[in-house]
Amino acid sequence: MQTHLEMDIEQIKIKMFEMADLATEAIKLSVESLKNADLILAKEIIKNDTRMDLLEIEIDDDCIRLIVTRQPAASDLRFALAMLKINTDIERIGDIATNIAKETLKINGTPLIKPLIDIPRMADIAIKMIQQAFASISEKDVEKAKAVITMDDEIDELNLQIYRELFTYMCEANRNISQSLSLIMVAKALERAGDHAKNVAERAIYYIQGEDIRHRAPGEIS
Amino acid sequence: MEEKITAKNVSFFYGTNQAIRDISLSVKENSVLALIGPSGCGKSTFLRCINRMNDIIPGTNITGDITIDDESIYAHRYDVTTLRRRVGMVFQKSNPFPKSIFDNIAYGLKINGVKDKYEIESIVEKSLKSTALWDEVKDRLHKSAMGLSGGQQQRLCIARTIAVQPEVILMDEPASALDPISTQKIEELIQTLKKNYTIIIVTHNMQQAARVSDYTAFFYMGELIEVNKTDKIFTKPDREMTENYITGKFG
Repeated sequence: MQTHLEMDIEQIKIKMFEMADLATEAIKLSVESLKNADLILAKEIIKNDTRMDLLEIEIDDDCIRLIVTRQPAASDLRFALAMLKINTDIERIGDIATNIAKETLKINGTPLIKPLIDIPRMADIAIKMIQQAFASISEKDVEKAKAVITMDDEIDELNLQIYRELFTYMCEANRNISQSLSLIMVAKALERAGDHAKNVAERAIYYIQGEDIRHRAPGEIS
Repeated sequence: MEEKITAKNVSFFYGTNQAIRDISLSVKENSVLALIGPSGCGKSTFLRCINRMNDIIPGTNITGDITIDDESIYAHRYDVTTLRRRVGMVFQKSNPFPKSIFDNIAYGLKINGVKDKYEIESIVEKSLKSTALWDEVKDRLHKSAMGLSGGQQQRLCIARTIAVQPEVILMDEPASALDPISTQKIEELIQTLKKNYTIIIVTHNMQQAARVSDYTAFFYMGELIEVNKTDKIFTKPDREMTENYITGKFG
């Protein structure tokens, strides 16, 4: 029979995974809206962010209630502390999707100055990072979380590449500046999404093995 | 911090029933060690080994050794009366003598040979101040201790214990019968007392162990499963059994 503590933890987990699904879906759709100049979809993404905002508050409340009423210890305590932080990271990813959707609205259906290749790649990596970080939580698999941390380098590299490319576009013609800036913003936003996913992976490692690996060089992570 | 108490391979038997098995651990001077574990795990038995309280139970036997300041308390020539002066004990149920508040504390001093009236008065006041009881009882020192509240009685017992200037204080669930305010006062007191004493506390309340102790030892079925710094035990214990106990999966 599940204890009340286990049931409370399970409830938080369910909500947290729902948040993660919403965040990954929002990132995917936001890049699609940009790629296809789909203004209706962009508006939908902005509207749906409210669900994530509400979930964030609910999860925080649930974690605080868990700490106060169940006084968790060891892995249960680490779970509550990790979820409080992961919650913020995931909500920010939701905000990132909203910001990308806002850039779609700003571009307002104007033909894109170049076909989008690396931005969707960045989005795919960010989504994979979030999914893998959450898989590491559900399977208590530290190796999966470590792999997420490595993937962040790929996304950083792509961001830099996109910036260089768009900088060239801007130098070539003034008319490209506005859209290039929008796309640079989108790439930067996706790079931030990768950072948040990396944070989730670091908190997952703290939850699973009690080790705080933040601010360590990759070689220092055991 | 130096090691004050060291247990080496301590086993204890009630007749043929072995209550604790091969316990080895050290307690640092001026620290608080909490002993936790489910009922019947041997934590109180181990606590009582430290001032040889188990000696008075017929048919019991101890093997291994316990030293205080590197001196074996089970050595043949070791004086048990001296040991019990050096190692004071506070029990679950407060047990003041049916005497005045003043006499409760003065009694121990008198049987330890303190005769000077002014010295006794001074120690009584100091002990009551140390346990934050002075302001509450200074106007009724010569009234019966039985008129005090449960929490006050327990603090009086602690004052009585420290009046004879022990080096170690053993506490066997000292706050389990008290309300939250009195419990908080006892916990605050433990934090203050550790500056001058080495304290070992048995508690069923894991949050209390987390709040008051520097080190925590987890006992299970007579065995010491794990001993470590308290924050380590409550956030990332090394042994799965400790994890399962403190997360409420058994016990």
